[in-house]
Amino acid sequence: MNRILRNPWIYSIMIIPTLALYTLFFIYPMATSSYYAFTDWNGLNQASFVGLDNFIRVFSDKDFINAIYNNFIFIGFSIFIQVPLIILFALLISSVKRFQGIYKTTVFIPSILSTSVIGILWGFILHPNIGPVNQFLSLFGIEPIFWLAESKWAMVSILVVNAWQWMGFYIVLVLAAILALPKEMNEAAEIDGATGIQRALYITVPLIKPIISVVVMLSIAGAMRVVDIVLVMTKGGPVGATEVMASYLVNEAMGVNPSYGVGTAISLIIFAFALVLTGIYQATFGKTKE
Amino acid sequence: MNTLKRISPHVILSIYVLVVLFPFVFVVFSSLKESNIEIAENPFGFPKKLYFQNFVDAWVKAKISVYFFNSVYLAVTSALTGVLLAAATAFALTRMKFMKVSKVIYQFVLIGMLIPGNVLFIAQYILVMKLGILGTHWALFLPYTAGALPISVLLIAAFMKSIPSELEEAAIVDGTGSLRLFYKIILPLTLPALVTVFIVNFLGSWNEYLLANFFISKDELRTLPTGMVGFRDAFQTNYALISTGIVYCVVPVLILYAFLQEKIIEGVTAGSVKG
Repeated sequence: MNRILRNPWIYSIMIIPTLALYTLFFIYPMATSSYYAFTDWNGLNQASFVGLDNFIRVFSDKDFINAIYNNFIFIGFSIFIQVPLIILFALLISSVKRFQGIYKTTVFIPSILSTSVIGILWGFILHPNIGPVNQFLSLFGIEPIFWLAESKWAMVSILVVNAWQWMGFYIVLVLAAILALPKEMNEAAEIDGATGIQRALYITVPLIKPIISVVVMLSIAGAMRVVDIVLVMTKGGPVGATEVMASYLVNEAMGVNPSYGVGTAISLIIFAFALVLTGIYQATFGKTKE
Repeated sequence: MNTLKRISPHVILSIYVLVVLFPFVFVVFSSLKESNIEIAENPFGFPKKLYFQNFVDAWVKAKISVYFFNSVYLAVTSALTGVLLAAATAFALTRMKFMKVSKVIYQFVLIGMLIPGNVLFIAQYILVMKLGILGTHWALFLPYTAGALPISVLLIAAFMKSIPSELEEAAIVDGTGSLRLFYKIILPLTLPALVTVFIVNFLGSWNEYLLANFFISKDELRTLPTGMVGFRDAFQTNYALISTGIVYCVVPVLILYAFLQEKIIEGVTAGSVKG
């Protein structure tokens, strides 16, 4: 009877289309990236091997170093500002009975929308003249601020919009972990007279450490590949204030003078950064007892 | 004191909810206003009178309709293809008796989850150029479908593993062939997972920007995320019209979300936790 489930033809028919498509669009590009990164190919000439030239070139470009720095700002902002807020909001939502579902559903909304549409939407909200943020500030006599055109504000604006888009997603992740915890410990602590804040800090947070680790790692990975929001809102400007590695890559590889060699080299650098950072995190703070 | 304790979480959460919702309310109001002047004079209030002309203008003149249909049709076809391919593969991997090969293939497919999407961006660009499909919808359809496969196989395979084997044994005794077994018995049972995966893939393609921006140059082939950016750049000064465009992009997703919120939340978060 197992003959039917041992038919190699059927097995192949079911597997080959997936494998073919996946290999062609995942494995093969990964392999060619690793090759083009060491060539000077620009799409037209014969690709010739240039060793580490592309890597040396980007690492000696101070614009790229600046882009790396901005990626680290993203990571720092995610870990030190977003994550504590995410935990706070998740704890608050878990602590209420009324409207719990409404809070959860609402905060999740931005994370299912297109980043480019969100970029346009916030470009309007932050518009210097008719945007509601400046209109609101003008009630207090504050002069219009050019949120996206001034170097000192552009990065802050992008960070806030990015946080606005993604926090709800992480809140729902953390909330699900909190709601899955057994109630007994919390109840016992309550009987012993622990306040809500004490229970949250000393019981709930330690218990949800694994999911916090996941959130931190996803944030690092997300911060390494952030690009859509930058391209749509500022294109990396003003004067590189919001340039990140991936937007540098896009400008370099898709600009007027395309260089696929340099572009793929940057891709590999981003990939390496993401692997190393999540690796370091897992080996240090993110250790779980599994 | 007790009331304060009970109320304060709601106060903080309401402020957060307000921050989340305000931009949407604001664009909906703005889309019904006649011009920038009305928006500037009265940014927070209701429109003086509901001005629906923007919706007609954006849909027809600004070609939102074109982008909209391109998005719908690319997102639906690639999500559907991805689900079917992944389901067939998951079936072969989990139910058919080629365990050793299956294990290797499964691991091989999961490697894809380690590779962040835009790392492959340039190499995929070169690939679609070489395949001669740059600038066509194939250049998006194929990477979208392929990109969704690893996570789809992972989620569907996990679900199929939990289906008891008695059912298919009975079917086989009754003389059902393996293809029929797949689509008559296993697929219907896997439906909840298929719906989840479909939604995740659909949203992924619906929202995708980077490939859509660089792999497509003809305006008639653009999808909403890139079409909207072009639309914004073309109508820089008319914020009422831009708001209307945003409403067209956001509302379909919100309607979907209103009906399927549990499924969507489950699907979107499942990928990241299990991955």
